[in-house]
Amino acid sequence: MDESPPDEHLSRLMARAQQGDSHAYVTLLRAITPRIRQFVRARRGFLGAADVEDIVQEVLLSVHAVRATYDPARPLMPWLSAIVRHRLADAGRRHVRQRAHEIGVDDLDVTFQAPPANNREETFGDPDALAQAIQALPPGQRQAVELLKLRELSLKQASGLTGMSIGALKVATHRAIASLRRALQGTDDE
Amino acid sequence: MKTDELIDRLGRDVTVTRPLPPPGTRTVMWMVWAGMYLVVVTVMMFVVMSSAGMVPTPSYLVQQSAAILTGVVAARAAFLSVIPGASGRVWVLPAIGVVTWAATLLWSGVLDLQASGTFGVTSQSDWPCVVSMTVGGVVVGAPFFWMLRRGAPLTPGLTAFLAALAALSVANIEACLTRPHAFALTVLLWHGGTVAAVAALCALLGHRWLQWPDMTTQ
Repeated sequence: MDESPPDEHLSRLMARAQQGDSHAYVTLLRAITPRIRQFVRARRGFLGAADVEDIVQEVLLSVHAVRATYDPARPLMPWLSAIVRHRLADAGRRHVRQRAHEIGVDDLDVTFQAPPANNREETFGDPDALAQAIQALPPGQRQAVELLKLRELSLKQASGLTGMSIGALKVATHRAIASLRRALQGTDDE
Repeated sequence: MKTDELIDRLGRDVTVTRPLPPPGTRTVMWMVWAGMYLVVVTVMMFVVMSSAGMVPTPSYLVQQSAAILTGVVAARAAFLSVIPGASGRVWVLPAIGVVTWAATLLWSGVLDLQASGTFGVTSQSDWPCVVSMTVGGVVVGAPFFWMLRRGAPLTPGLTAFLAALAALSVANIEACLTRPHAFALTVLLWHGGTVAAVAALCALLGHRWLQWPDMTTQ
């Protein structure tokens, strides 16, 4: 924490970012990301690294979306802390809602035969093959799959990030899934 | 996507962003709109419908002053509630405003009782005012919600409640101007009930109206 830039410096960077200075903005986001990560870990110690990173990214997107609410005459950290606190609370509420709609399947084997362990035919196949197949996709299709299927962003969010239209994203995703299916069927046949 | 990639993309997306004016300034901007609405409706009622002739009593003026005060502090609190890092107890002043407003109406009710021997609770139903306040609240409140959407929806329910309270305080003044009431308790029950019901509904729906801005809007 001692090596982190002072708050006045962050405030100046944000003021320059509000004036459209891209370099200052990237510098600011890189400076605050470790602080956000530390804050999230401190408040949600039970979360895994991937979940922490998801919340960090959500906070960064929120900072970007509401950067007009920052008053350059005020310190940055209270402003940022409020966003992090509320986004953490939102994530907690979302988690509770999802849990409330999930159905426990502990007794699944009473009704259905339990699948044998490591049965690759019954699942999506070899994770390594899937990763390779995704990497082999054309850049547009790969980006669409990463954002919509892996990161589970909405079409609007993905469109905002990539600059692609929603229609183009849908087409790219559809083609990507078809390509992946073909590629994975090929590896299974082998 | 990795966080570093996201940061690079956000950096590429950044454009000139005008900081929001302070909550006090935004309150004044909205009050100008609300004031224009009040003037237009009042002129229409007094000129077109020839309902001039109502002489405002001191207790009436106190009631309307309390309503205006409530509207102003509720509006400022709503604008404050969409600024990250602002005070966490924005609801305190509006709560004081509501209590003051209700107290002025109760006191006027006591004066009515002394003068007429009744509170007049059952003497007058007030559905026209319910409709008038709801419509007026939408006219005055719609630009308010539009202004709020530029902020951060940290507490959407509370923000929507405060915005509705501010808009309906103004709409209440319009309803009292255009349709004089014989008893203050009628105003408390019908107007107060309308404010409470609509503001509660807005609080419930706040999270639908005030969401984190989508990246596509930037």
